[in-house]
Amino acid sequence: MNQADLSKLVSVLKVAVKPKPRLFSSPEGPAGRLKKLSATVTALVKYERIELNYPRAEEAQGYAERLISDAIRNGDCHKHTMEMADYWLNEKQLVHKLFKVLVPRYQNYNSSFTRLIHGPNTYPGYQPGTAILELKGNPFPSLQPETHNYHYWLHNVLLEEAKKEFRSAREERNAKTTESVTAGI
Amino acid sequence: MNNKINRDSMGPIESFYKSHIRESQPHAEAVRKATHHPIETSDEAGERPVSSQKASNESGNTVVVAPPEFRFMYPEFLPDPAMQYRNRLKEKLERMDMLQRRSVIEIPEFYTGSVMAVTVADANSPNKFSRFVGICIQRGGSGLRAWFILRNVVDKQGVEILYEMYGPLIHKIEVLRLERRLDESLLYLRDALPEYSTFPLDMEPERRLNNLVVPVNPLKVKLRPRPWLERWERQNLQGVEDLNLPQRFYDKAEKVAKPWEKYDLMLHYRKTIPAEEQEKIFAEVHSQLQQQDLKRKIRRRRGSDNDQ
Repeated sequence: MNQADLSKLVSVLKVAVKPKPRLFSSPEGPAGRLKKLSATVTALVKYERIELNYPRAEEAQGYAERLISDAIRNGDCHKHTMEMADYWLNEKQLVHKLFKVLVPRYQNYNSSFTRLIHGPNTYPGYQPGTAILELKGNPFPSLQPETHNYHYWLHNVLLEEAKKEFRSAREERNAKTTESVTAGI
Repeated sequence: MNNKINRDSMGPIESFYKSHIRESQPHAEAVRKATHHPIETSDEAGERPVSSQKASNESGNTVVVAPPEFRFMYPEFLPDPAMQYRNRLKEKLERMDMLQRRSVIEIPEFYTGSVMAVTVADANSPNKFSRFVGICIQRGGSGLRAWFILRNVVDKQGVEILYEMYGPLIHKIEVLRLERRLDESLLYLRDALPEYSTFPLDMEPERRLNNLVVPVNPLKVKLRPRPWLERWERQNLQGVEDLNLPQRFYDKAEKVAKPWEKYDLMLHYRKTIPAEEQEKIFAEVHSQLQQQDLKRKIRRRRGSDNDQ
């Protein structure tokens, strides 16, 4: 039966979701995988920016986004959502943080709620590398430089003027060469 | 809304059907597919209120929105959730073809547990058609490959036939009894006593008591003694009587069970289509389905007038 499961309504996630989940080996088996990931999600909600290895970060990002999107869609009076929050957040004050702080923060977001940035890799690079997983709107200074390029910045103003000068000089030169050609004929 | 229904105790499908009861008011029109009444949402599925068929989006333009129950009535319009097979263009073309077929043949609303009669074109039968009556034990497939299985016991022999809903050989699909059961899949009827799967081949369509609600039949089926085709004790079936097995079966079932899957949010995500996409798909499809429904009703009325 490859019909979509209709028992739950989920919101679309704004992160790339791979078709197959990544497996993490642990002594408890598949249950242990979810336990490890719940520890990661708890830490993410608690500290709002964590540094960890890339594979775990990528998996935890999906689960964190799902938890927050469920909380936004259903609210805290919804039994299923509360059960999920209870399982995924190991500290109970974080359940309050999820519904009272994160839900209002992300209510009107059209983008993802988390950001996954590649961190430093140890040379020679046989490992998958580290990553920094953070919730958007966190109080810390941004990790990535601003990529804006405003036209009114001084160097951009000077560059625009220089371009205009160059273009007008080229047109003059072209005009002079056509005159000389027509004069020559 | 005075009728408060405690949704926490219900499963998702039950609470969806209770929402039908909310909409039905004695003076309201019995137009079940178009909901014009605000639905209070506290049910398990977490559906947002659909105040009218025409909602307005952010820019203030009216947007046609299909009623939320469409996803249960037409589940084959949703594509296969496996990411490897998603292709928006293919799905759109398939939906167009499905609507085209539905304009020719009436494919009624049905659920697992409904008793149906299907007539197929059969070159080898004397009157070129063959009719089979049975209970729908399972339905699946997405798009044009949607299928359902009907089961009946004929001359003490259990017979199951898989019909492809959009196949060109299908001549007529009638729903003789529209109802639901406590489970989504009734495969356990194969191991149940034959009386639970026997339906007369000349069964007449039954009149529905309430056009707005699809009843849930809380029947608990008795199984034959073991051996069975599947390990029913491991499947959390609601519609079977107590299996009365030795304790070792239940112990092994516990050992083998995967209780963590209940919390695996990404597993659920990969098994379903997100709500926004569902809304888009059904908004596309819903106006055409409504038009087809209306045309059929008019044709039927005209037909009955001509007979008179």
